[in-house]
Amino acid sequence: MSIFVEFKNVNKIYKTGELEIQALHDVNFEIEKGEFCVIVGASGAGKTTILNILGGMDTLSGGEVWLDGTEISSYSKKQLTAYRRYDVGFVFQFYNLVQNLTAKENVELAAQICRNPLDAETVLKQVGLAERMKNFPAQLSGGEQQRVAIARALAKNPKILLCDEPTGALDYQTGKAVLKLLQDTCRKNKMTVIVITHNSALTAMADRIITVKSGTIESMRQNSHVVDIADIEW
Amino acid sequence: MAILSIIALGVGFFSGVRITTPAMVHTVNAFWQEKQLYDYRLISTLGWDSDNVQAFRNMPDVRYAEGSNSIDLLALNHENVEIVLKAYTLPENINQLRLTEGRMPQSGNECLMDASRPCGLAVGDIIRISEDNEEDTLDTLNYTELKIVGMADSSLYVNFERGTTSIGNGSVEAFVYLLPDALDRDFYSEIYIRFDHDSVIYSKEYKDAMEQRSGSWEELTQQKADLRYQRITDDARSELQDGKDELEDKRAEGQQELDDAEKELADGKKELDDAEKELDNGRKELDNAEKELTDAKKQIEDNEKKLDDARKELDNARQQLDDSELQLNDARQQLDDSELQLNDARQQLDDSEQQLNQAKQQLDDSKIQLDSAGQQIADGERQLNDGQTQINSAFAELRKNEEILIFSENELNTQEQALNAQLSQIPWEYLTPQQQAQFTYAREQISQGRAQIEAGKQQISSAYQELNIQQEILNQKHTELEAAKAEYEAGKIQYEAGLAQYENSLAQFQEGKAQYEDGLKQFEEGQAQYEDGLKQFLDGKVQYENGVKELEDGRQKLADGRKEYEDGLLKLEDARKKYEDGVRKWQDGKKEYENGLHEYEDGKKEFAEKIADAEAEIADAEQEIADIDQPDTYVLDRNTNISYACFESDSQIVEQVARVFPIFFILVAAMVCITTMNRMVEEQRTQIGTLKALGYSESDIMGKFAFYCGTAAVIGCVLGYAIGTVLFPSVIWMSYELMYIEIPLTYIFDWKLSSLSLLASLLCSIGTTWIACHVELAETAAGLMRPKAPKAGKRVFLEYFPFLWNRLKFLYKVSIRNMFRYKGRFFMMVLGVGGCTALLLTGFGLKDTVAGFADVQYNDIVTADAEASFKTDIGETIPEELENSLNSLTEEYMLLNLSSWDILYGDNKVKALNMIIPVSDGDFSSYMHLHTTDGEPLSLPGTDEILVSNSVMERFGAELGKTITLRNEDMEELHVKVTGVFENHVYNYIILSQDTLQKQLGRIPTCNGAYMNFPEETDEYQISAELSKNEHITTVSLFSEMQERMAKTMGSLDYIVLLVIVCAAGLAFIVLYNLTNINITERIREIATIKVLGFFKNETSAYVLRENIALTAVGIIVGLGLGILLHSFVISQIIVDLVSFKTRILPMSFVYSILLTFLFNIAVNAFMGIKLEKINMAESLKSIE
Repeated sequence: MSIFVEFKNVNKIYKTGELEIQALHDVNFEIEKGEFCVIVGASGAGKTTILNILGGMDTLSGGEVWLDGTEISSYSKKQLTAYRRYDVGFVFQFYNLVQNLTAKENVELAAQICRNPLDAETVLKQVGLAERMKNFPAQLSGGEQQRVAIARALAKNPKILLCDEPTGALDYQTGKAVLKLLQDTCRKNKMTVIVITHNSALTAMADRIITVKSGTIESMRQNSHVVDIADIEW
Repeated sequence: MAILSIIALGVGFFSGVRITTPAMVHTVNAFWQEKQLYDYRLISTLGWDSDNVQAFRNMPDVRYAEGSNSIDLLALNHENVEIVLKAYTLPENINQLRLTEGRMPQSGNECLMDASRPCGLAVGDIIRISEDNEEDTLDTLNYTELKIVGMADSSLYVNFERGTTSIGNGSVEAFVYLLPDALDRDFYSEIYIRFDHDSVIYSKEYKDAMEQRSGSWEELTQQKADLRYQRITDDARSELQDGKDELEDKRAEGQQELDDAEKELADGKKELDDAEKELDNGRKELDNAEKELTDAKKQIEDNEKKLDDARKELDNARQQLDDSELQLNDARQQLDDSELQLNDARQQLDDSEQQLNQAKQQLDDSKIQLDSAGQQIADGERQLNDGQTQINSAFAELRKNEEILIFSENELNTQEQALNAQLSQIPWEYLTPQQQAQFTYAREQISQGRAQIEAGKQQISSAYQELNIQQEILNQKHTELEAAKAEYEAGKIQYEAGLAQYENSLAQFQEGKAQYEDGLKQFEEGQAQYEDGLKQFLDGKVQYENGVKELEDGRQKLADGRKEYEDGLLKLEDARKKYEDGVRKWQDGKKEYENGLHEYEDGKKEFAEKIADAEAEIADAEQEIADIDQPDTYVLDRNTNISYACFESDSQIVEQVARVFPIFFILVAAMVCITTMNRMVEEQRTQIGTLKALGYSESDIMGKFAFYCGTAAVIGCVLGYAIGTVLFPSVIWMSYELMYIEIPLTYIFDWKLSSLSLLASLLCSIGTTWIACHVELAETAAGLMRPKAPKAGKRVFLEYFPFLWNRLKFLYKVSIRNMFRYKGRFFMMVLGVGGCTALLLTGFGLKDTVAGFADVQYNDIVTADAEASFKTDIGETIPEELENSLNSLTEEYMLLNLSSWDILYGDNKVKALNMIIPVSDGDFSSYMHLHTTDGEPLSLPGTDEILVSNSVMERFGAELGKTITLRNEDMEELHVKVTGVFENHVYNYIILSQDTLQKQLGRIPTCNGAYMNFPEETDEYQISAELSKNEHITTVSLFSEMQERMAKTMGSLDYIVLLVIVCAAGLAFIVLYNLTNINITERIREIATIKVLGFFKNETSAYVLRENIALTAVGIIVGLGLGILLHSFVISQIIVDLVSFKTRILPMSFVYSILLTFLFNIAVNAFMGIKLEKINMAESLKSIE
């Protein structure tokens, strides 16, 4: 397996007036293609910053970020947008669906700007929402909304799927179902999926586990005994 | 911030516009107050004197009363261009001046010049009085040149209108102020009155006060004027009386002198005449004497001659007498011889007579025998002829009888034959006895007849025999007669020969007898002659002897006469000498007399002339006094001052506009406040919840927001008020200063207005805050702590039309949904943007309308090039001279009757209208295109019909089909039916036909004006100048010039339009920015999401701002509709007398309005694009906070 994502000495410093906060400090890790990676760490450890940088939503202060052989850290703003547009799929803790669009439309919103999108309905069926395609987000439950969000990300047919606490706002069972969906997607579509969580219990289902602490990588290990999500309890 | 700015804008606009009119009025009021503008201008047709002024001054309530003089004059400026000036005498207290340059005049030939309209003149220049002025004017002016020593503004003229005049081109160019001694006048042309008050101009207080005064002052003025009239006429009369008396004295004196002279002359004349008569007598006497002498001389000469003639005659007579004696003796001898011869002849004649008488006797006897024989022959002949005739007739009778006999015989034979034929047919035996009897009888008869015929034949033949015997006898007798006849003829011839012989002898005898008688007569005559001669001779002898004696006497007498004559001649010479002396003396006397007479005549003539002159003078003076009419007086208040009236209406325009706009702005401000506060309250929802949870009361919480909002409102209000009340009046005043003199604008602070603004803004802000908070605070603290559920997505109605919806691009669907998601915001946006567009459109439309009505009026309606007015004395037809001038200078023209008529409307209200009556034939439409406001052409009215302009219809209720009453100054009335309303914007025109006037008033309208079209490509000004030279034309006004002037006057609105545009822009910015801002803030997560999804920058902008653009489009559409309404409303609010605006918005104005609105939108969008760019995706998406 080749290295798909690589962080090399990535630093991120936030400047708020006089104050400088070093969010990331020499972060180094790599992820292989098709892996289900979980980045775990306490609140404020810098996991979201990593995700944002990887997703092209934030810039870095130093180091290099490589994805699929290209250096995204050198991208211009516009290139970053294009990168987000074609290569990355996001799933957020609070779903961030467009309230004014139906489930299907939310998916289409993302799909229509991609080069080779998947069919919105197919994707929604995949995530188990065939019946609710025409509902507005307000008419859906949290899990359903998150599934729509996942479907939206998937429909773009991205190279990598980034999920920021996808279960954070969901109850246990629903969270499980969502994670299951992500895992299945990874397996079935050979999609590289990166999930951020503070729940270390989830590490069991990952191919690779990266632990972040205080802006640095504490550890990175590969899990040879991947457990199915259904079997994980926390 | 949004609240602050919208409140500032709203208040600024509201208060600014509101304060403008009062500020302007206040400013001008202050100026007029300071300069003591008059309250009344009193005019009397007789002028005023200082007594009058004093009398007015003594009236209570009067602060100042001042006599003033003004005169219109033609002057030449430094370039020798003629200008019309109105000269005033310098005021003391009323209508003071404001010296802008130089100094006040100090001597009569110095003046102050109009500072606003200097006509190119400057201080130090000389104004020369034109020679073309009327005699009166030239007499009145003491100087022919005026030196400008200063420039000034007059309180009588705050705007640039200088009014009209009757001289020059009819309009006053500028005013000048002179010292009173520049004018040679002993009266004032007007008196200005200033009452003791300081009321604000145009205020109700002022108007009421003036209203109260008007009646009594009119009376008072007339009374004073009458007093002046009394004084003038009294003075004039007494002067006249003095003159008359003097004349009488002089006349008497002169007459006396003349009379004396005449008498003297008459005496002289008489003397002369006497002398003449005497002379004449002398002359006559002389002449007589001379004549007598001449006669005498002639007589003497005649007598001498006569004496000589008589001598000669006497000698002749002597000779004759001697001759006659000899002759007489001879004649005696001859006479005696003749007597003897005559006696012999007598004897012979008597013998022949006797013989002749015997022959005569024989002849008469044979004549008698012959006659009796002739008689016998004639008798025998007659008897013969009678016998022959008898025989002939007897023969004829015989032959007749014979024929009858033969006929009867023939008949008998036929009858017999017929009888026999009958008998042969029928045998006798068969005949009836009757028939037989008949036949027998017939036969008897026939045989009888035959017997008779035989008897007749016998008779006839005997008769023949007898007759033949008689014939024989007759023939014998005839022969005897013939013999007798021959014998008679022979006897007759013998007789006639004897008769001829006798007559011959008779003739010879008579001849002889005649010869004898002649001889006898001759003898007797000779005898008589002889005796006469003898007698004559004896007489002559006596005469001769008398003559000789007379001759001797005559000679003696002649000698006496001659002596007498010579004495007379001597005497005559003496008399003549005397006479000539007399004549000479007389001639001298006559000459003297004639000189005297001449002198007298001259004197008399002179006297008569002088008297006549004096009388004429007196008559003139009397006439003059009589001509002094009872004075008419006019009490003119300030409204008759052009500046005063103009300024009122001009300032009203702003006020009327001010009524409309602010409400609109306040409305928008309120809405902006609501949305802003809504948003704010929503944003602070958790904070509210927390506060509530902490136990703060609702009012405390609300107070917090109210404080925030209220502070913004107060600051905005103060700011807006400060800026608005300064900016608006100054900008508008600036535009007015194009037409008015420079008076620094006074800033006024209106407590009422400012508190109203503050109240309104506070109400807006705090009211909306309260509403917003109230809704939120109704929730529980816990509910508030939770984030408000995002507003659910909704399908919009469009989705129910799949065929449309599915066609839309996905992103448009999103935009459309979004647009309808927030209805309040949608409406606000539409209203804000629409309001902006509407304002812009109104602003531009206002400009179009104001600038355009003159265009429409003079390009589309009045198509004539110029109007001429004629002198009033022109009748129904124009003089030839004028006609020629018109024909040669204009392309075409139409004669008109232009007059002013009052329309009666409402409750006894009247309004003067301009009536046009086409007088000459022609196509009126080539001068004035009459059409309805819908563009339908109208034809000229018929009898009893009238066309009115739309302003007349709108303002004075002259609706279609209604009968209106018109009245002129002579109180003549017309009742006419309105049959058409035509579009017209300047003046209140009504059009009537000639027939109506003739029918209703019985007179034909005179032509006192004309519309004219000039030939293409000519200089209008030149033609109009050319026409003006015609003595019948008073003025020529070019419509193009009027159009320009009108457009210029209305140009002041440009600044107002600019102001409106600026405000509209501000409105658009604030509304758009505010809403977009709210929109973005509210949807920040959504925007972040789509950014994360990889929307490019412009895609993101488009995603968000597409809504803005769409809403703007909707807003514009609404705004256009709104704008049209607003525009027409504003126009309807601006009422200017004599002008009716054509509500008009040019297509370009629509385009501009739309473009500007979009421009504002794009500007806001561009600004918002930057803001979008700044959105941090990571931060926004992280959490709710």
